[in-house]
Amino acid sequence: MTSITPVDNVPNNLFPLADSRSLRNYISELWERREFAFVVPIFDARIQNMDSVLGQIWHLLNPLLMVGIYYVIFGPLLDIQRGENYLGFLVVGVLLFQLTQRIVQEAALVVRRNEALIRSVQFPRGLLPISAVTGQTFAFLPAIAVLFSFMLITQEWPTAKWLLFPLVFIAQLLISGGLAFAVARIGFAFADLSQILPHAFRMLFYLSGILFSIDDFVHNPTVRSLFALNPLYDIITAARWTLMGTPLHSSVVVGLIAWAIVLPVVGLLFFRSGEARYGS
Amino acid sequence: MTGPVSLIANDVHVTFRVYEDGPSALKQAFSNRKWKRTHRTIHAVRGVSFSLHEGETLGIIGSNGSGKSTLLSALTGLTPLDRGTIHAADRPRLLGVGAALRPALSGYRNIIIGGLAMGMRKQEIESRMADIVAFAELEEFIDLPMRTYSSGMRARLTFAIATSEIPRILLIDEALAVGDARFKERSAQRLETIRNAAGSVILVSHDVNEIQRSCDRALWLEKGTVRAEGPVEETIEQYLSATSLP
Repeated sequence: MTSITPVDNVPNNLFPLADSRSLRNYISELWERREFAFVVPIFDARIQNMDSVLGQIWHLLNPLLMVGIYYVIFGPLLDIQRGENYLGFLVVGVLLFQLTQRIVQEAALVVRRNEALIRSVQFPRGLLPISAVTGQTFAFLPAIAVLFSFMLITQEWPTAKWLLFPLVFIAQLLISGGLAFAVARIGFAFADLSQILPHAFRMLFYLSGILFSIDDFVHNPTVRSLFALNPLYDIITAARWTLMGTPLHSSVVVGLIAWAIVLPVVGLLFFRSGEARYGS
Repeated sequence: MTGPVSLIANDVHVTFRVYEDGPSALKQAFSNRKWKRTHRTIHAVRGVSFSLHEGETLGIIGSNGSGKSTLLSALTGLTPLDRGTIHAADRPRLLGVGAALRPALSGYRNIIIGGLAMGMRKQEIESRMADIVAFAELEEFIDLPMRTYSSGMRARLTFAIATSEIPRILLIDEALAVGDARFKERSAQRLETIRNAAGSVILVSHDVNEIQRSCDRALWLEKGTVRAEGPVEETIEQYLSATSLP
């Protein structure tokens, strides 16, 4: 009969249960379970649109309506003429900005929303912020179609530089993913974050040169290179350069590459160091 | 009687903080001059030791609030221990995929979500789909949203997903109580299959009959400590005589 006294010598086929995964194992486990991050957000998107009449079509209608409003206000109504293709300029900025904003705002809620799952199933929690990225990116695909159609409508014809747009987009996903990791942990510890984020993004919106080109206002090259510290400014400026051939300073390229490398690494490490606390 | 040891818990202590939800949290924060919310530390599991063998089903009984569920959660490795160690041959799996499931989606999609949450590949899940559906007896309903299922159907689905891949150590928390007689029998059969494959099961319940039906050995937990441990009949007798109303 088994005794209830503490067992001193543990058989060596048993291992301690405490989570002692190395970073390497953690990442490889994330990779092994990648299907979760691709399948579950698509299913969840189904749920969200289940009760609406137009369903998944909203993913296309939303960016169309948004762009349409800008078109009416800044086109015929105000008749603002800044540069050659102001509408195209605006649309690239507005749509890309929205993707990062949605990813980050979703990530702020993702740990709390999946509390029950975290408490009952063992999996690397990093999958949750990654699912925020994949889910919002899938939902954004129709917006990319809108973006390109709008380029053509405003007579921005394809050039060889368009081939670089996917690279900028990947950099944007890496940057947003890094932010998502960080925000997921902060949002778990500090629920008020999701109230603050919309305001932070509004602020960023004006600092990212979406409504007007920073170059038109800031002529001092040192000050201008400070804007490169804002990753969203880098993403949008680089994307405009690939699609519309607007000017691109080297500081923006450096900023984009640096953020795309640094943010995912720092974000993942920061998220993982809180791993044991999620769900408690 | 049973095979080699598959899990050893040694002097396990678990505490957690519970934040108080007083009538006026803000006022309290001002009067305390502390911006930290007041909390209580609950010492839910106090020095529990036991071992589990391959091919064995261990029942954990105890009244509400005795620390059963906390202990179970510690056994999954999901709750950090305050003191003590747990060693196991494999990471115990909690029959808790229910938490991953989405009531608005069909049974079919939920099987995929549940399997993915458990760490299976989509292809693997699809190859086991027919078995899972058959075990859950949901053939006619598999394309209906899960929210339309009865609680028994839901329990069958969760159980079928969680045991579709035979786990080495399975933890069950009151999950079988909702099913009807037929499901109880089938789940007992499935547990038998797990035991025959050298798997071990820990079943937590305050339902003495369920423990009696499925377990070889029982552990009685009270206020976070082990009050008795041994063959299922004896332990249950002790538990019943101590807790029955005079």
